[in-house]
Amino acid sequence: MIYLPGSGILHRLHPLTKLAAALLIVVAASMFPSPPLLLGALALLLLLALAAGVARRLLPIMVSMFLPLIASLFLIQGVLFPPANATTLVALGPVRLTIEGLAFAGLIAGRLLVTGIALLLTLLTTHPADLVVGLGSIGLPRSAGYVLLVALQLVPDMVARAGAILEAQQSRGLEVGRGLARLRALPALVGPLLVGALSDVEERAMAIEARGFLSPGPKTSLRTLQDDAVQRAARLLFVLGVVAVVVLRVWMLRANP
Amino acid sequence: MDTTRPRSMNSIALALIPLAMAINIAIGTLATGTPIYLDSVGTVLVGALLGPWYGLLTGILSNVVWTLVFGNQIAIWFTPVAAAIGFIAGVAGRSHLFYRASPKWLSALVGAAFLFALTLFVLMFIARTFDNQGNAVFPTMQTLFAENGLIFVLALVAGAVAGYAVLQQAGYIGTIGLATGVLAALISAPISAYLFGGVTGAGTDLLVAAFQASGASIIQSVFAQGVVSDPFDKLTSFMLVWLAIQSLPRRLLARFPYGRSQPPREAAYTEAASSRP
Repeated sequence: MIYLPGSGILHRLHPLTKLAAALLIVVAASMFPSPPLLLGALALLLLLALAAGVARRLLPIMVSMFLPLIASLFLIQGVLFPPANATTLVALGPVRLTIEGLAFAGLIAGRLLVTGIALLLTLLTTHPADLVVGLGSIGLPRSAGYVLLVALQLVPDMVARAGAILEAQQSRGLEVGRGLARLRALPALVGPLLVGALSDVEERAMAIEARGFLSPGPKTSLRTLQDDAVQRAARLLFVLGVVAVVVLRVWMLRANP
Repeated sequence: MDTTRPRSMNSIALALIPLAMAINIAIGTLATGTPIYLDSVGTVLVGALLGPWYGLLTGILSNVVWTLVFGNQIAIWFTPVAAAIGFIAGVAGRSHLFYRASPKWLSALVGAAFLFALTLFVLMFIARTFDNQGNAVFPTMQTLFAENGLIFVLALVAGAVAGYAVLQQAGYIGTIGLATGVLAALISAPISAYLFGGVTGAGTDLLVAAFQASGASIIQSVFAQGVVSDPFDKLTSFMLVWLAIQSLPRRLLARFPYGRSQPPREAAYTEAASSRP
């Protein structure tokens, strides 16, 4: 979970407003990946992160998430295997640095960064439960929302359990190194995890029944979301923007294939 | 007594699906350091016990959580792949394939046939030439066999031995796992090639690069990489669930819609249990 508690401008927005804005950015960056547009969006998003007070948390996540991806992208597309008929910029033996290869890698990397940061900004400033309540208000089934939130809570628990099983099997003399040794040890690690989870199912199912989750009738929620007319209008505008971008792209493809 | 309610999500499914989604992530972390991702064991488990639609749902929700909570923006684009895996596992579960023990010779046959097909695919891919219009021309089977006879014989033998020793009595579910891998490669290749330039930041990127070096386009290289690595990943996921289900007490399995209809054959039960380290 990457949510960072706070009270900046982004934290105060309705989850759906942020999600709609992120969607518009993702769609626009995917449909029109032009360098000036991507750079502009990148600058805007970073300014927004600074203003919202999440920049210090955003940067390390970005580095760990995007650095290997982008390094691999530049190495493969830009240096090792450039597109056919590419213009050579620098040649070093069999390795050629080409303009087209770098441009292609740069474009994809820019798009990844813009869409990634838009999503990360939304998630950093929205509590997952608020996100689910927000999605529920536009039609996400309650059971799906429940599953999402419970899974989220269970992940650290399950990862800890996996670690405990790993140590327990190691103490019994199981080789759990890396590579092939780890592969051979997997059944002994995965088995207890699955069996343990399945034996939890009955208790959890009874708890769900006992709390009346499946019984019909109106339900109330502990969490309420702040919303206002301006944000509702902005959301409508963002959604219309998404439609407009898609229509424009299709129209351009038709006119100039 | 039938405790499952068709058409509405019942409490067993509501309890199992989040656990399975957490298992996907936990086992994914256990598998770091191995050459496979192993991010769909939980999805396969739900399919095996609750059927295709719950399997599909688990696959979709897993990738949604991966993106919406952990900020992994790659995962959401591969939702169709996860959904397909869950669905196929569910069809296999509904057919009781997770309980049925296959004869060992069948496992050897499946192993041999798969490794043979994989070798054929890779050699075809590498040995193809281009005519003057740039269309790929594939070599004929005869020349391929004549030039690489030894490799094919080795692949057949290695596949048979691996099938016999590793798959053992999981021949049916192993076949499904391998087929799922090929399907996953088919679905994910266009996604990976168009959105990410064929790169996912994982070790398999090197394989993509190697295929590109032979003159293939990005999408062809990504597909070839997927066909080489995905079947082994999905095979492992299916096998792990198979092993776990073989060793589960019947009392536990009886709670799930597809966990009780077909009692495991006694031979398969003891064999699988004793082969666990």
